[in-house]
Amino acid sequence: MEAAPSPGWLIARQSARFVLRERTVALLSLMFVVLVLISAWLGWSATSTVNRIYLDAAAFLQKAGQPVPTNPVLDISPLSLMRNMSVYVALIGALSAIVIGNRLIGLDRKAGVLPLIGIRPLGRNAYAGGKIAALTGLILALGAVAGVVAVATFLMLPAITLTGTQWAQLAGFMAITTLYMGIFGLIGLASGAWAKSETVGLLLPVTLWLTLTFILPQLTANLNPTAAINPISALATPPDTSFFHWAAIVLGPVSLADAYKFASAGLLDYLPQGIASPSFNPPVLTLILASCVAAAVAWRALTRLSMTQGDYNV
Amino acid sequence: MPEPMIRLNRLTQSFEGVTAVDALSLDIAKGEIFGFLGHNGAGKTTTIQMLTTLARPASGTATVAGHDICDDPLEVRRRIGYVPENVRLYDTLTAAENLMFFARLSGVADPKWRVAEVLDLLDCAYLADKRVGGFSKGMRQRVGLAQAILHQPAVLFLDEPTSGLDPMGIKMLRDLVMRLNNEFGMTIFMNTHLISEIAKTCTSIAVLSHGKLVYHDRIEAVTARYGDDAALEELYLSLTPVGRLAEVA
Repeated sequence: MEAAPSPGWLIARQSARFVLRERTVALLSLMFVVLVLISAWLGWSATSTVNRIYLDAAAFLQKAGQPVPTNPVLDISPLSLMRNMSVYVALIGALSAIVIGNRLIGLDRKAGVLPLIGIRPLGRNAYAGGKIAALTGLILALGAVAGVVAVATFLMLPAITLTGTQWAQLAGFMAITTLYMGIFGLIGLASGAWAKSETVGLLLPVTLWLTLTFILPQLTANLNPTAAINPISALATPPDTSFFHWAAIVLGPVSLADAYKFASAGLLDYLPQGIASPSFNPPVLTLILASCVAAAVAWRALTRLSMTQGDYNV
Repeated sequence: MPEPMIRLNRLTQSFEGVTAVDALSLDIAKGEIFGFLGHNGAGKTTTIQMLTTLARPASGTATVAGHDICDDPLEVRRRIGYVPENVRLYDTLTAAENLMFFARLSGVADPKWRVAEVLDLLDCAYLADKRVGGFSKGMRQRVGLAQAILHQPAVLFLDEPTSGLDPMGIKMLRDLVMRLNNEFGMTIFMNTHLISEIAKTCTSIAVLSHGKLVYHDRIEAVTARYGDDAALEELYLSLTPVGRLAEVA
């Protein structure tokens, strides 16, 4: 005899299984993992190269009886090696989260099984809770993969030792990374539940993602799209004009990619001196507020989903 | 007098100002096979949606197996099974995987054993490991019926169960419905268009026209009064708009 799990848990488990069988989801998640590995490799490679050159140069200088300067690898925070990861999270990580969120509800709607689920002894809240739990689990798994890669990279680099504070900063970075992807996952889930057609359900959050990643940062922090995907030149002081002043006030609280970049730069120690987020909200607070709003919208869309007319109009 | 298994009390539903079901009152006794007839758009499916708690009535109420559909929807859902007109399942899963999911959601104690038992009962164990995506309409209907009876419901709602089936499929479904009623005492509420099926299967019938109940009686009374299928069809047509138009012509 099997112990009876709660209906919400059953929905969560089944939904997560279905989504993982989807090729698009598997492909995007795989791409995210590969890019995270690449970002770690880039950091590891750059540091190792500089370190090797330094060791050769130090040996040469020592032999010539000249003073040996300090290792440049030690001049910068080792955490900044992970700055490429924040770019890949904002791009492919957020997109993967949207697709995961959308498919979690889209699969039920496309299959047309909502009436058969609707007549089971589970409340609409259990259904909504199950879907959000499935999303949370999958996004946490993506975040955990990124975290394991980051930790492994630091453990493998002999020249680098993180202090307790730096490990905490890395944990903080992984937490906001997961939160950031979660926001987009919730947007995908809400849109998938709300839209009448499957295409609109996916197009809407993707458009929002493009706006948040490439358009709003231009208006709030003067980051052009090329700079937005480049972690080195991405953070600069916006011109001191009234346009940027007001854009930061009006759009700053919703400019999520901007907030994520500044929060990441702060936690990974690569925020240039004298540069701060133009928004009046602290970046982490912006992300927390956005996740609360996205969760509320997703909950409303899921609990109001019609079990009789919820199938997609295709 | 025992409490009816299904009791509708002025059940009403409207969409954008149009009344789909108009103050419908009806009692259906335990163990009945109830045939619900009506033209397209008469409100039959809307009635089933309200009785299965998929939609809330605009006014009025109903009880199913002694539980109010508005106040106690979870208890109603524990006691009902439902086969929609077009059975749709997860196409990428096998029949058994689909049934396992629905069995677990219904709180079936030993889902694996029960799924095998139900597939055996419906003579479709051979479908268990096949993906639903490749199933014919008849096969889907069988799996649809299987998902509806996994938790041994007291009441089974069938919405146009024979729609799109060939004569063999119709006979197979009729036999299954009769068996579920005879062997397990399930009360069956069946929406249908097929007059011939009504006489062969049902113990009582009602006719709905434009959301209003225009006829309700036991099948013995109907056949005693109207005789064969042709006469029954005459009765049905005389109660529906098509029949009334014919009278005027």
